[in-house]
Amino acid sequence: MRVDSSFKEEVRKRSGQRFDACFQCLSCAGGCPVVEDMDYNPTQIVRLVEFGQRERVLASKAIWVCVGCHACVSQCPNRVNVPLLMDTLRQMALEQGVEVPEKRIVLFHRTFLAQVRRRGRIYELGLAARYKLASWTLFQDLIAGLKFLWKRKFKFLPEAVKGLSDIRTIWREGDGKA
Amino acid sequence: MEKLDGAIRYYPGCSLGSSAREMGDSFQELARMLGLEISPLEDWSCCGSSPAHSTNPNLATLLAARNLLLAQEQGVKDLMVMCPSCFVRLKQAEREILTSMEKAQELERVFHRKYRGGVRLRFFLEILEQIGLERVKEIMRNPLHGLKVALYYGCLLSRPDWITGFDVAPYERFIEELVRIAGADPVRWPYSKHCCGASLAVTKPETSDRLVDRIRHYALEAKAQCIVVFCSLCQMNLELRGKASSPLPVLYITELLALAAGSPNARKWLSKHLIDPLPLLREQMSLARSG
Repeated sequence: MRVDSSFKEEVRKRSGQRFDACFQCLSCAGGCPVVEDMDYNPTQIVRLVEFGQRERVLASKAIWVCVGCHACVSQCPNRVNVPLLMDTLRQMALEQGVEVPEKRIVLFHRTFLAQVRRRGRIYELGLAARYKLASWTLFQDLIAGLKFLWKRKFKFLPEAVKGLSDIRTIWREGDGKA
Repeated sequence: MEKLDGAIRYYPGCSLGSSAREMGDSFQELARMLGLEISPLEDWSCCGSSPAHSTNPNLATLLAARNLLLAQEQGVKDLMVMCPSCFVRLKQAEREILTSMEKAQELERVFHRKYRGGVRLRFFLEILEQIGLERVKEIMRNPLHGLKVALYYGCLLSRPDWITGFDVAPYERFIEELVRIAGADPVRWPYSKHCCGASLAVTKPETSDRLVDRIRHYALEAKAQCIVVFCSLCQMNLELRGKASSPLPVLYITELLALAAGSPNARKWLSKHLIDPLPLLREQMSLARSG
């Protein structure tokens, strides 16, 4: 087990907060709605960061499964901001080219952002179609999808913002590495 | 509390005109019946949502901040935000720009414009609070005759409280009162603030199924006849997911209020639901007439 002491510092710096306030009461893990789908619970992730376990943390499922519902930090006696920690770790995992175990979640994020980049807004029908094609899940929810179309629940035509130059600037100037 | 004057500008978010048409249309109706003049922020763009903040914090701030700059340029004092998730993203960006010199400089570098912080971001319920329950009550011509509702606040209606600025208990009391004014009866139940897993509904449907089943199970156990929501993602997920529990109609708070106000156009949006609420509402209305 390799201890990478720079990891803790990097996470602290990027997230702008310290995680050693955690006294492992497990409140966050107890209140997490998706802890059953995680390989490490939120308390363990916080602990693994402190122990410099870069590879294990960045390759974990847990950092992607987190839904950002803020139940954890709302009941944390030390207000350790776990959702912010998870965001930071995801960004680091992508930047460092780690093999992500939750590929569909990353694919969804990418498909979503590609839509925003193109039009400045989400075109839901297009997002659903593109994600389904790319993830090979065309038949999942086929009936519900047809019902949506029948009921005209989705807007049929995409719309784009007028100030697309702003959106282009955001990507050109602010995209960074992700 | 200060009075609202003139037109109200709102930030619709990407769902309101599409998958959350039920909410968009019923809100338009409600505003019309309250005599409010509302119009969307001109040329608004996506707040970036979870995909941005999960992968790139800079992108998240800039995407949300563009809307703050637009509001500032359009002279908007109060920007009413329709989606709790967009609301948190916009508030987060505002906070970052106003509290971090580095972020403020980054914004200026990218857009060549400065954000001065004069736009007040308000969740749409706050506007109703400002209008006053008395005024809302005046238009309730068609109260819902004790319809039992499970109020589902979801994750982000009050969380994180240091971003939303909402104090949970008084906020909930206001919402309960609002629902009572519509003639509905909020049940007591334990899962009103537990995430429904909407953000995983497409990528990990089995997880959302589990969370929705739990929520619906407890709503049914509390004898709720429907679930009332505030967020378009919750709405769609609670209708779409869940395998082990019997379906329960899921209405937006705005639909409930517009129905109780006797909106003549309710059928237009009620027909869009995946779980048809019409049988329940018909039964409830006939009870109201006979009783």
